[in-house]
Amino acid sequence: MSPLLLYQLVALLLLCLGIFGMTQRRSFVGMLISVELMLNGAGLSIVASSQLTEASAVLGQLGALLVMGLAAAEATLVLAIIVVVSRRFGTTKTSEVSTLKE
Amino acid sequence: MELMAKISFVIYALIILGGGLVAVTSQSLVRALVGLISTLLGVAGMYMLLATPFMAFMQILIYVGAVAVIVFFAVMLTRADEGGEEADPAPIRQSLGSLAAVAAVGGVLSWVLLTKPVQGLKVPVEVAVEELGKGLMESYFVAFELISVILLVAMSGAVLLAWERRVKK
Repeated sequence: MSPLLLYQLVALLLLCLGIFGMTQRRSFVGMLISVELMLNGAGLSIVASSQLTEASAVLGQLGALLVMGLAAAEATLVLAIIVVVSRRFGTTKTSEVSTLKE
Repeated sequence: MELMAKISFVIYALIILGGGLVAVTSQSLVRALVGLISTLLGVAGMYMLLATPFMAFMQILIYVGAVAVIVFFAVMLTRADEGGEEADPAPIRQSLGSLAAVAAVGGVLSWVLLTKPVQGLKVPVEVAVEELGKGLMESYFVAFELISVILLVAMSGAVLLAWERRVKK
């Protein structure tokens, strides 16, 4: 097993954990945590691919840095959305935040 | 020296696995957050092994420093832990569906990874931080500016969203 394969498998593990949490959690905060796991896997995969192949290492590291910036922006917005939803509905359960059914 | 790298890789992978399992299965959201933080630290260790100490530093600064605090604020502001929204275990159908989703995605991706292995380098490339800075200021200048615009928009959007209600009162 080459080192690149091992790092990609770890990134895949992070993606799988994130998908599992995303589909299984029943509150917005739990889903936010799962999204962060998945984005981390993406960053690790990008850096490993650029560091362990002939591809441009600078491009890989900067790309992962941009992924981190996007993750921070996304977390900020999700925090605001969660606050608004919990004020309006009084809960952050995904099953109760729905008005179309009524 | 190589043995040390392998041992630390296994340790970091175990930290990531354990932290991730706690993060997605724990019934208390604060514990899930602690699991997330340990996973993030494990990934920072992976970055160190990949000879990218700058990325490890940024991982700790941005993720452990900022994102974890934001998630904690989300837990605190919604009192998500008190009502115990995750307290009752998930219905068995939902868990089975989640496992099916994981098996589908993980199965396809790991099949591709294992059957078409890319023979990478043995030792990671080392890049000086100066080159990263040069890249940000020269080749990837537009992306750098765009990410700052995105951060500004997200920040002001978040403030606006949370402010609206208070003005109405």
